[in-house]
Amino acid sequence: MEPMSGEFIEWLRERDDEQLCALASARPELVTPVPAHLAGLASRATSPSAVGRVLDRLDRFSLAVVETLAVQPAAMSVTDLVELLARAVPGPGEDAGALPGKGPGKGGRTAGKVKSARAMLAAPVSATVERLRMLALVYGPCEALSVAPGVREVLEGPAGLGPPVFDAFRHSPQDRLELLIADIGLDPAAPGPFADSAAARERLADLLDDIAVVERLVAEVSPQARAALGELAWGPASGRVPNARREVRTSTAKSPIEELLARGLLAATGDESVALPREVGLFLRGGRLHRDLSPEPPPLRGTSRDSGLSDRTAAGQAFTFVRAVEELCERWGFDPPGVLRTGGLAVRDLKRTAQLLDVPEQAAALVTEVAFAAGLIAASGGVDGEWLPTSGYDVWRVKCTEDRWAILAGAWLSTDRVPGIVGDRDERDRLLNALHPDLRRSAAPEVRAATLGVLASAERGLAPDLAAVLDRLAWEQPRRRGPYRDQLVEFTLREAELLGVTGLGALSAHGAALSSGSKARPQSRPNGAIGNRSAADLLGPLLPEPVDHVLLQADLTAVAPGPLTAELNRFLALAAEVESTGGATVYRFGEQSIRRALDAGQSADDLLSMLERHSATPVPQPLSYLVTDAARRHGRMRVGTASAYIRCDDSALLDQVMADRRSIPLRLRRLAPTVIASRTGSTALVDSLRAMGYAPVAESAEGDVMITHLEARRAEAAPPAKVTSSFAGLPAEAVTAAIRAIRAGDAAHLARRRPTAAPMGQVPRTPSTATISALQEAIKRGTRVWIGYLDSQGNATSRILEPARMEAGYLTAYDETRAAVHRFQLHRITGVTDISD
Amino acid sequence: MNDGPLIVQSDKTLLLEVGHPGADACRKAIAPFAELERAPEHVHTYRVTPLALWNARAAGHDAEQVVDALITHSRYPVPHALLVDVAETMSRFGRLRLEKHPVHDLVLSSTDRAVLEEVLRSKKIQPLLGERIGDDTVRVHPSERGTLKQALLKLGWPAEDLAGYVDGERHDIGLVEDGWALRAYQRDAADSFWHGGSGVVVLPCGAGKTIVGAAAMARASATTLILVTNTVSAHQWKQELLRRTTLTEDEIGEYTGTKKEIRPVTIATYQVMTTRRQGVYRHLELFDARDWGLVVYDEVHLLPAPIFRMTADLQARRRIGLTATLVREDGREGDVFSLIGPKRYDAPWKEMENQGWIAPADCVEVRVTLSDAERLSYAMAEAEERYRFCATTPSKLRITEALVKRHVDDQVLVIGQYIDQLDELAEHLSAPVIKGETRVRERERLFQAFRDKEIRVLVVSKVANFSIDLPEASVAIQVSGTFGSRQEEAQRLGRVLRPKADGGGARFYSVVSRDTVDQDFAAHRQRFLAEQGYAYQIVDADDVLDDA
Repeated sequence: MEPMSGEFIEWLRERDDEQLCALASARPELVTPVPAHLAGLASRATSPSAVGRVLDRLDRFSLAVVETLAVQPAAMSVTDLVELLARAVPGPGEDAGALPGKGPGKGGRTAGKVKSARAMLAAPVSATVERLRMLALVYGPCEALSVAPGVREVLEGPAGLGPPVFDAFRHSPQDRLELLIADIGLDPAAPGPFADSAAARERLADLLDDIAVVERLVAEVSPQARAALGELAWGPASGRVPNARREVRTSTAKSPIEELLARGLLAATGDESVALPREVGLFLRGGRLHRDLSPEPPPLRGTSRDSGLSDRTAAGQAFTFVRAVEELCERWGFDPPGVLRTGGLAVRDLKRTAQLLDVPEQAAALVTEVAFAAGLIAASGGVDGEWLPTSGYDVWRVKCTEDRWAILAGAWLSTDRVPGIVGDRDERDRLLNALHPDLRRSAAPEVRAATLGVLASAERGLAPDLAAVLDRLAWEQPRRRGPYRDQLVEFTLREAELLGVTGLGALSAHGAALSSGSKARPQSRPNGAIGNRSAADLLGPLLPEPVDHVLLQADLTAVAPGPLTAELNRFLALAAEVESTGGATVYRFGEQSIRRALDAGQSADDLLSMLERHSATPVPQPLSYLVTDAARRHGRMRVGTASAYIRCDDSALLDQVMADRRSIPLRLRRLAPTVIASRTGSTALVDSLRAMGYAPVAESAEGDVMITHLEARRAEAAPPAKVTSSFAGLPAEAVTAAIRAIRAGDAAHLARRRPTAAPMGQVPRTPSTATISALQEAIKRGTRVWIGYLDSQGNATSRILEPARMEAGYLTAYDETRAAVHRFQLHRITGVTDISD
Repeated sequence: MNDGPLIVQSDKTLLLEVGHPGADACRKAIAPFAELERAPEHVHTYRVTPLALWNARAAGHDAEQVVDALITHSRYPVPHALLVDVAETMSRFGRLRLEKHPVHDLVLSSTDRAVLEEVLRSKKIQPLLGERIGDDTVRVHPSERGTLKQALLKLGWPAEDLAGYVDGERHDIGLVEDGWALRAYQRDAADSFWHGGSGVVVLPCGAGKTIVGAAAMARASATTLILVTNTVSAHQWKQELLRRTTLTEDEIGEYTGTKKEIRPVTIATYQVMTTRRQGVYRHLELFDARDWGLVVYDEVHLLPAPIFRMTADLQARRRIGLTATLVREDGREGDVFSLIGPKRYDAPWKEMENQGWIAPADCVEVRVTLSDAERLSYAMAEAEERYRFCATTPSKLRITEALVKRHVDDQVLVIGQYIDQLDELAEHLSAPVIKGETRVRERERLFQAFRDKEIRVLVVSKVANFSIDLPEASVAIQVSGTFGSRQEEAQRLGRVLRPKADGGGARFYSVVSRDTVDQDFAAHRQRFLAEQGYAYQIVDADDVLDDA
């Protein structure tokens, strides 16, 4: 890395606060943690990782601007930049990939075309430059723009160009270089012995930088060699050949590769690798860096849908998805699948789930994963773990459908888990199960957001093709393209459809609200609730309205023509079996289901009146017959639990036992004149009766009735931690505070002023309310204060601070005493004195 | 939100609210691609199955129409996955076609090479095909036409059979419409069959399927082979054909256990066709005995498996299947589709009933209570004896008697499973009984007497289940049956559904023992009948006896 350029720091220092805030908002990683001064900010901004990150977010055009600047050895003006870029804009009907036979300017592009391209580019280029300045990737005035330090290093091979001559021939021995210069130089006698290899390389670079020289060299070689150059011209600018370091001269060159090597048109960069030097590459490209540059993103192609219809379809799917999650959790509450030893859900269990939900396995995996991401299911602890609904599920299920959907969709959008790869194999050929811990890809949330962003940018109702979306994303984030991300995009489109974010391939209104809500979240909506709220509001009216009646039929079914009101839903869930779900629900009454309702304490009359009240049609005779018939038989036999019994042929003796006050704790119940049942164990009963003065004998007794009943279970485990993805930004206040702190630090740094000496006298003591208001005042005015502070050992100290921000019991301030930004606990500040000059 | 009458469920069933003003239009729109599964009073359930979609495709409907029908009539948004699935399934039909080739006779060709490659790789398909002629065409041995269609359907790529038919030996057949006329729906059914080439006509019992068969024969005017379920049914076909067509006694042959006549129109029973001696079907040559121009399959839902195999070889002949239901209890609906042909005509029972072509029926279940002694014996009975015990309880005798008394003016049919019980009943009711051992001649005499109202009450065993025609039975009392099979129920109901001379309603009683397996079987029956849209009522035996 080149040494930190003072110029860059100076430029950064001259930016105003607003511009620096914009920088910190756009690149939050630069101010977390807050650097001490602007030099620190500059060095962080130019570190390879930070530069790589911000370059990754550039669209193709902005990246091209950066690349164009990066290729230039020196600063250049905006006008020249436009000139260079204009060459890369394809004119109408022009073959962008054609290899120019001649030098730049004389190529296929007429001056007229370049002129019109120039006019077209002027505005977008200056806007882009402004944005790149804001991002601190480009600096300097419009007359002399430079890329920020560190950018060149990160941009390896900008625009697919090879290394410059100076670097490309780094590994060639000096004598080889001298021969090369002699071979291609105009005057073979001229190259004297060079001081060192670097000097020789500089000379070679000078030669190859001359268009006339390269033109002559290219003209000399055979057509096959020219074809090979054509292959390399638009990248990748390197290739593999055996024995690349062979000694060749123009006179001895036999093969096309040897011809090129002998003329320095190719450089050997290793034993078996060659590269096209940047100067040669630029010549071959006719002096332009890019082929088909456009300041506009590629248009989205696809099918146009009626937006109302796509919204409704998406809403239908959203409703279906919420139902599926609910069904899954309900079932798992009673019949939980086990957790595999490696974590995750067994293939068999996924199959069963798919069957339960009546969807393909891939969709079942999505339902499971989304339920997991939303914290509705979790693995219970213990040796034989089980997947159980969480208590969060109980909270979720009482919400209205649209809110439930918003929670699920939000969880999907932000999870780093990738349901799409369930069923694939990992690099060690192990099957990836649903809910498996390794099912994570850190890029997933970002790709999802980007994909939905593309859909949102399309016209309402347009369902773009996968290829069009990929093209657009490749334009928006060219540095992030790859088969792996393409796959994630494909997953996103498929899953968005299943979740009802899109309908018929087009982004729905509620889907758009969801995606913009998630984008707006970092700045204005700290918890995302507001963003999701509006998606739910949009979805609500499209969902079937709850109905309070059913249609009862003689085949003992009840059809609920829509989602039911809560009361009716509970009633039917108890008294009937669900037969099919969807927009409507079909329930079937049977003897078992009626009995279940009777068991739950309903009487036949309750059931019938409930049915009458909520039926749009008269209750069919077979149904009322079924209810009364089931009730007739219900409860004729009684079953209870007893731990022991007393039997005695003399009922008078049993009367006596029942009448005895001492028998009350034994919890006796007279079942028949000669039988008493007791809830007390037989041993204890015998003892107690003996104590009461009777002479009982224990009978060998069998027949304790164990009643087992199902109970829905819940996992104890906490729901999975929320993923905070790196692309989420900082709240605006935090940014402002950070910039203020940096400025303060920088001022201190610049002035190299001694920290203001602590005023003489006592460490200030002020009441806490006064402390806070004094600090607020100082933050507002940007003044310095002297505080008394108790350190973590409880020692009283004093500091000179420039307060920047106060929140959640902490003061963030630049500590002049220590020349760094620190956070101070407010309750430890014993007092404040304003010491501004 | 759309205010349509249709609700689409995620399991691909469609719920149609009958009372909705748009219900009729919706029914017409979805009928081509959805099978009516249940038709109770308020909400009808249709099911969209791959076969139903392919039937629709074969009838010339495309996925766009289906999706449009769903979206237009659906009250709620239709889940996207379902629409995609519909379109995907429909697009599978017709990618492969069986065609005549001028040089190679019969070929399988494809509009989608990938599909052809896929099926060619299948081990089941390979042996059925000959050499490849071009990129998209493979030769098919003519004898494998049926087997190939079956195998392709199993792979999920049903082939469209465009290879046409042989004309067969010409034989003039005309309808004689004296005193009766072909009903509009019967004509439609015959026409759609004829235009489709081969296929199945679905009409309820009593809707005159025989006449549709006769009309189809008249359209073909060629020698015809008719396959029916049993001998009685064969006689009835013969009678009907003599009455309705220009055919004479000499032109119609019967090929049954007793007679082996082969004439221009030959009626054979499934039973004789599937008789084997030493592992060989002895009567297979019947299929080649003449150059048949048409093969009629009566009661397709009962078609036995061996007939399917034989039918696979008959693909060059026109075939018409007649049935009341496409539901087969063995689940071989796919074979009917590929070997007989797609559904060509369908009319729901209720609609026919509303038009007055079949009699409306009231179904009543009478529950008798077993005496305490009977309950004890029932509890102690062996599992396999239990049904017989509760089905033949003497309490049923009294109830049946009371019911017969109640319908003094009606023709009453008493149907049962157990011969002892039937004999006992016959004795009590002093009515004749028809059972398996009754000779055909005697059977027909009794049927005729019943028709002529010489006999008012007739006790029949399950031999009378299929294809007998008792036009004036307005009351049926079922005392026992075989485990509540849906098919049996449809047949028995068919007995009383024939249009009555006086246009009156029919009544169908089943007598059931309370709190026994009999009641469980009755529950199946109840469900089936209610699903078919019949009014169903349950009464206690005591109420019936009190009335009496």
